[in-house]
Amino acid sequence: MPDEKREEALRKELDQVLAAGDTEKGTQIARQALESGLTPTEFFVGIIQPLLYDVGKRFERLEIFLPDLMKAAKVIQTMQREVLEPAILAESGEGSELGTVVIGTCQGDIHDIGKNMVALMLQVNGFRVIDLGTDVSPQNFIDAARKEEADIIGMSSLLTPSMPYMGDLIKRLEGLGLREQYKVIVGGAPVTEAYAERIGADAYGADAVHAVQMCRQLIGLEG
Amino acid sequence: MRNAVRLVDVLDRMEAGPIIEEEDFDMRLVPETMAELQAKYDISIPPDAPFVPDDDALADRLFEAGLEMAEAIGVLCTDTGRRMLWTRSEILDAIGIAPDHLTVGAFPDAHTEYKRLPEDTRRITIKGGPVGTPSPEHLYVAIQQSYAQEPLVDLMIDGSLETVYGREGRSHSPWEVLLSWHEMEMVLTAVQRAGRPGLGIGCTENSVSEIGELTVTAADRLGPHHWHHVAMISEFKTNYALMTKVAHIHKTGSILHSFYNTIYGGTAGGREGMAIAIVGGCILMQMAYMTTTHSVSPTHPFYGNTTSPDILRAIAPAQQALSRNTHLLNDVVITPVGGPGTKTLLYEVAAQSLLAVSSGAAALIGPRSAAGTEPGHVSGLEARFMAEVAHAAAGMSRAEANRLVAEMVARYKADLDQRPVGKRFDEVYDVVRVQPTEEWLGIYEEVKSELRELGLNLDSAAAHDCVGRSTTV
Ligand code: B1M
Repeated sequence: MPDEKREEALRKELDQVLAAGDTEKGTQIARQALESGLTPTEFFVGIIQPLLYDVGKRFERLEIFLPDLMKAAKVIQTMQREVLEPAILAESGEGSELGTVVIGTCQGDIHDIGKNMVALMLQVNGFRVIDLGTDVSPQNFIDAARKEEADIIGMSSLLTPSMPYMGDLIKRLEGLGLREQYKVIVGGAPVTEAYAERIGADAYGADAVHAVQMCRQLIGLEG
Repeated sequence: MRNAVRLVDVLDRMEAGPIIEEEDFDMRLVPETMAELQAKYDISIPPDAPFVPDDDALADRLFEAGLEMAEAIGVLCTDTGRRMLWTRSEILDAIGIAPDHLTVGAFPDAHTEYKRLPEDTRRITIKGGPVGTPSPEHLYVAIQQSYAQEPLVDLMIDGSLETVYGREGRSHSPWEVLLSWHEMEMVLTAVQRAGRPGLGIGCTENSVSEIGELTVTAADRLGPHHWHHVAMISEFKTNYALMTKVAHIHKTGSILHSFYNTIYGGTAGGREGMAIAIVGGCILMQMAYMTTTHSVSPTHPFYGNTTSPDILRAIAPAQQALSRNTHLLNDVVITPVGGPGTKTLLYEVAAQSLLAVSSGAAALIGPRSAAGTEPGHVSGLEARFMAEVAHAAAGMSRAEANRLVAEMVARYKADLDQRPVGKRFDEVYDVVRVQPTEEWLGIYEEVKSELRELGLNLDSAAAHDCVGRSTTV
């Protein structure tokens, strides 16, 4: 089969596997694809990314729902962990993960739906994500970032009185002499780009897709 | 119905129920149960279904699905990692003894909310206010007064504060004490200024954690006769902080109102899943919180509103399911995308009011204008409008309500993704006289004329008469 046709058939098959959340079949297909000569990057960029884009668009139109998105994410994560990551490591001696993001909802705030979407989108796009959940104090963010050797700290806030903790965290990083070690991204319904700038955050994410673009930029990749 | 024995029993279940991982609860138990029940009870709400269905069989099947959902899923306490579960007969006993009416507020402004049926001629209760929308501190009293002074507003619900004494507040900190006290100081001033000192007040809205509620109730700033709020976390979850509010509200003999916002396209699913979640969610709030009134606010994940066509199609049959099969006091929160000074807001409010009244809701809450997220983009005039439309719809058939809702939706549908947040309070009201501007009044009158032309009798006795015909339950 010519390459284009073969890739198209692969995408079709994988689309069904993502919809079914079949992690086993997913890893099997990824293995076969690499055996047939595709490099891990060709497979991810040429096959997975367009599918991901499509799944994301379908969710935006609410043709599919959050559990469907999670199912697709599980398949992709398993593929990455079990097939792509070891292949890249074997080839270049380096891991494929883009970087580590420690993410959570600020202190006193239990709104997590938007934060969960952001975490999910970061994961499927190749970031290692440590989700600290909700009601996370500035110090807990910092402790986790140190422990996980994070590149980025991501804070979500849906409440006016939980937003100030974002600025508090940045000041605390400065006070501890750690500001240069971590990039900080903030988001959530009441947070604006101007607010993010005012508190000295490195980036603002308007929605989950935008948050991924910004995190890529923060680690020096194209958005 | 609540009592000390039941409170202890609920807390026992919170410590002893089956253990489950939160991810398993969210990603497997909830979606799988929803899908199973949707198929088992043949719940289908196609994209072109009527906004206000006239299908009692569907409503009754939805009730059965919601009841079974409540039994199968229960409520997860994220602090103990355990599910609180109840059997079908325990649930039926509890909802059977729940009150069918409730008096809120104090003499001379106390108001009684009653259970209603679909197409009921009894007037719906109007709970007017910005529902948590943040407002600048200097406008807060005038904003709350703009609702309190509306004669058709039976109870008031507060907004949040952007700052406290000019400082940024912080949740779950000493600042929350100040925020909550300041809210009370200002809403009590607002009701005094409106000449309605006993008006029932909803919240404390700035009690993000348990701290605010504990402090204002303990010092009797927010007396037991007001309606105290406790959220249930979407979907079907609670935690120690929320259960602390519950225990405290019960021990102080206060009125408990609970609410939860199922998310469209979230773990409960689409139209059918949302409808089942509304029914099951209300039942579960009754079981876990022993609450007297409940509201569910199904929210669009991208626009933050409740007025999108698919959401309306879930609310109406779910409300009918609850009204036909229980005497629980269920309120409907209206969250439009439109803000003050826009026709969009009024069309959205009209659509959801007509839908809720004809489907048997006990009360309307809001409107939470501009999706509740745009600081200060709220005003009392939209609550007046909500009440006028609602009272004109008392006794309206579901078929007629459906016709009018469809007309309204057609007028605002294209605006939903445009965020027409309108203007801030001080641009649509004279903040000293606390009266709407000519411009905002003109827009309001125009939309009322449009509704009259469509056949809504906004000048009928029902819209102004304070005593509606009662329904025996
Ligand atoms: C790290 O980088 C990034 C980058 C981008 C990021 C990001 C991080 N985080 C988010 N993003 C961005 O990407 C996401 C995907 O596109 C987006 O995320 P969002 O989170 O914006 O969008 C979600 C996909 C969908 N949107 C949501 O999930 C929020 C919807 C609304 C209706 C809402 C909900 C659902 C809830 N609530 Co609450 N709630 C409201 C909201 C009003 C509204 N219309 O938005 C809001 C936020 N709530 C409010 C309030 C006051 C409260 N709520 C409360 C409770 C709840 C529920 C538990 C019932 C429920 C939350 C359930 C849950 N599991 O999260 C209480 C607080 C509880 C607490 N301790 O946190 C309580 C205090 C009410 C009370 N008195 O008890 C208001 C906040 C006002 C303010 N500015 O302070 C509010 C605006 C509604 C209102 N007017 O009352 C972007 O913002």
